[in-house]
Amino acid sequence: MPTLSLRLNGRPVNAEVETSTLLVDLLRQQLGLTGTHIGCDTGQCGCCTVLVDGLAVKSCCQLALQAAGREVTTVEGLAVDGRLHPVQDAFVECHGLQCGYCTPGMVMSTVALLEHNPRPNEAEIVDALEGNLCRCTGYVNIVAAVQKAARTMAGAA
Amino acid sequence: MSALPASSPPAARFGSGRAVRRVEDPVLVQGQGRFADDVSLPGQTWLAFLRSDRAHARIVGIDTAAAQALPGVVKVFTGADLKAAGVQPIELPPAFKRPDGQVASAPPKQPLAVDVVRFVGEPVAAVVAESREAARAAVAAIMVDYEELPVVASLAAALAPGAPEVWPEAPGNVLAEARYGDAAATEAAFGKAAHRVSLELDNQRLAPSPMEPRSVLAYMENDRLTMRLSSQMPTGVRDGLAAGLPGRTEETVRVLVGDVGGGFGMKTGIYPEDLVVGWAALVTGRPVKWQAERLEEFTSAAHGRDAVSHAELALDAAGRVLALRVRTWANVGACPAAVSVVIPLLIGPWVITSIYDVPLVSLQLSAVLTHQMATGAYRGAGRPESIYLIERLMDAAAREMGVDPAELRRRNMVRPEQMPYTNALAQVYDSGRFEKILDRGLVLADWAGFEARRAEARARGRLRGRGIATFLEWTGGLALDEDVRVDVTAEGFIELSSATMAMGQGIATSYVQLAHDVFGVPLERIRVLQGDTDRANGFGSAGSRSLFTGGSAVQVASVRCVDESKKLAGEALEASPSDIEYREGRFSVAGTDLGIGLFELAARQPGARIVVSGTAKAGGPSWPNGCHVCEVEVDAATGAVEVVAYASVNDIGRVISPVIVRGQVEGGAVQGIGQALSERVSYDAGSGQLLSASFMDYALPRVDGFRAFKTEFDESVPCLTNVLGAKGVGELGTIGATPAVVNAVVDALAANGLGREAERVQMPLTAEAVWRALRREFPSVLPLRPA
Repeated sequence: MPTLSLRLNGRPVNAEVETSTLLVDLLRQQLGLTGTHIGCDTGQCGCCTVLVDGLAVKSCCQLALQAAGREVTTVEGLAVDGRLHPVQDAFVECHGLQCGYCTPGMVMSTVALLEHNPRPNEAEIVDALEGNLCRCTGYVNIVAAVQKAARTMAGAA
Repeated sequence: MSALPASSPPAARFGSGRAVRRVEDPVLVQGQGRFADDVSLPGQTWLAFLRSDRAHARIVGIDTAAAQALPGVVKVFTGADLKAAGVQPIELPPAFKRPDGQVASAPPKQPLAVDVVRFVGEPVAAVVAESREAARAAVAAIMVDYEELPVVASLAAALAPGAPEVWPEAPGNVLAEARYGDAAATEAAFGKAAHRVSLELDNQRLAPSPMEPRSVLAYMENDRLTMRLSSQMPTGVRDGLAAGLPGRTEETVRVLVGDVGGGFGMKTGIYPEDLVVGWAALVTGRPVKWQAERLEEFTSAAHGRDAVSHAELALDAAGRVLALRVRTWANVGACPAAVSVVIPLLIGPWVITSIYDVPLVSLQLSAVLTHQMATGAYRGAGRPESIYLIERLMDAAAREMGVDPAELRRRNMVRPEQMPYTNALAQVYDSGRFEKILDRGLVLADWAGFEARRAEARARGRLRGRGIATFLEWTGGLALDEDVRVDVTAEGFIELSSATMAMGQGIATSYVQLAHDVFGVPLERIRVLQGDTDRANGFGSAGSRSLFTGGSAVQVASVRCVDESKKLAGEALEASPSDIEYREGRFSVAGTDLGIGLFELAARQPGARIVVSGTAKAGGPSWPNGCHVCEVEVDAATGAVEVVAYASVNDIGRVISPVIVRGQVEGGAVQGIGQALSERVSYDAGSGQLLSASFMDYALPRVDGFRAFKTEFDESVPCLTNVLGAKGVGELGTIGATPAVVNAVVDALAANGLGREAERVQMPLTAEAVWRALRREFPSVLPLRPA
């Protein structure tokens, strides 16, 4: 089995994987990081979104080996010393989640958006979240949470 | 009923009625939730299903030898194996009647198909292997020899003269029938009516689609079978497992449910797959996990709705409804459960007259078998179908008479002085001020200013329409009592154990707020424990029942706990319990500085905890209601529909968690918009193949849809039949949105020259459907002409 090395949530990780192992399965099954969810296994729902070198990626559509040598960030890697990331905090504050299953993917897509576009307008937010499905919230408070997170992070910068 | 203790903080910042951060969220936003698939065990095996790729075929033979020989395969089994081992199918209970009076009978849900497959996606065989990949490879190596049988893949095909029968004991494919009302008196009322309108309505099949697919982990724990899965009703699943698995009882099965990634009714019962995974753990002695792929959810998780109706309304010259006549055929699929029949034949009819004083009804409702997946509960479960029907009829009548649709509704509303009101289906409404809700809705929606907006849109080349739905719904899930156990622990926590289930509706936060009202301790000191049949058993969460039943029980049990603890405090402080006062986690002797903390008192008790249970029984279902007004704009060139305004006023009685109920109504409304505009489970009418089998084909609302809701709650009319005064909220938005949106689209088309012909459009109102309607092309939906 091939071995790969990557940086995961800031720490070096080595793992043996099959060539066919998906990134999401490496994260969930081999490394036990179950915050990244599987909602459709066909790249349509976005529940499995993680960051690879800062870009939002659907981890059910990428082989684990494609992440070799890269920096992968999952929802578990956002909070610092138990303090929520401003995007996580905004989702709580704005009631941007109900069942919470799509939430890690929504949060990761938002983090990627705000990293590249700290002051997105509403159309840019909608564009960034177009690949993430939510069945509970109707997206009302998700968009509000992204806007709040952007304001918070701009204020902190 | 007990009043709140006088010592409870009158204006607590975090109690009921206050907007608080949900207690569920810090864990969920960090990916630390525990959903069904998040737990794995050492030595775990993987199970995968071979599913039927035919809608109807005889199984001539299954060759599992090649699969069994593959590396990593632990066991392969078929329906015949399970039958021989005594695993029982899930039978339809004998609660319904056929049109000829005989007890209704349908094909049993076999854990794995025996002899015949009856829908695409029916499980046929299962493989247990050391890895998921090995299990899937072995599934691909199983050879099934099918003999094709004739398929009835639509209502029309099932009801055609001489149609092949799905089940020999359901002649003509009619599984069950129900009739309500007075057919002769209704006929007479239609005869003398000044106005009559009729509509053909297709309430299309939907996929509930919670984002979390099913996942089941079964394992043995000291000879007990433990099943970790995602469910709204853990006790029902446990009982189903005990009934279906040989040698198992309710005592030797435990069901554990962690976080539930959305339910919407789809996770309310036992599935055949649950029995198979449980049996696999029993026979292999090893932990067995099955993860449903999304494709399996589309083919084999319960669908919702799917009823076609011919609906007629008779009115007098003043616009008062004289009678309602409905003929409905519900497509319940091939292997229906009780709920498949209960929803269209029992629950739906209860609200079919809605908030209107309708003196006469005549309903004939049939449940029809087809070679499709069974239907089940989906958010609203029968009420969306009925409310869609009556609200479409109200608009048709208003258009026929040239009356404002809000005014026609007003003339027919049940008035407050008629409460308690018994409707034509013998259902009793305890409360409701429907005209008040309407009046506020018209203001919030700026009803009077609509024609100016229509003209402005026309100047931009867009067809603007407006739709209204004034309605109520029934909530309670046929189970009105609920127990809650309160444990006060020496470690400093108050634990509330309940058999209701969190699934995103924030019930834990609402319970914590209610307990905070009584105990006055910080929210983080109160925990809600759910999802373990060793801890609490009951009906579970469905039918918008949890808050008004379980929440009432939280209040009752908490008050009892404080009362009982006062006795213990009296003993500890050597004072009479009547002299003990309680406030914010501390007991004290009146007029002294003697006291003891609640948790310190718990530490002194046997077992180092105080345990008190409480039961609440609501006196009836709750009847939440609302006025929803939607405006749409149609692009005449493409037929694309855009929702541009949505205002709603909702009477859900007393509001416990303001932020949560707003999220329920608005998120629910987006689901209702999904039915109106984009969602449809589609089977090929000839082969019975599922055509909408991924999120590319089944169009859930996305973030680019409408979000600018104006939502208000009217708290002036508490529910009179439970201690909280709360009414159910979870399904209200979904029920109101679908008719409001469709009425708006019909209005836009009618005003653009189609007139009443526009009423022939059918959901979902995709761009293509509306484009065709603008060219006067309409689908035909009735399977039969009504007699």
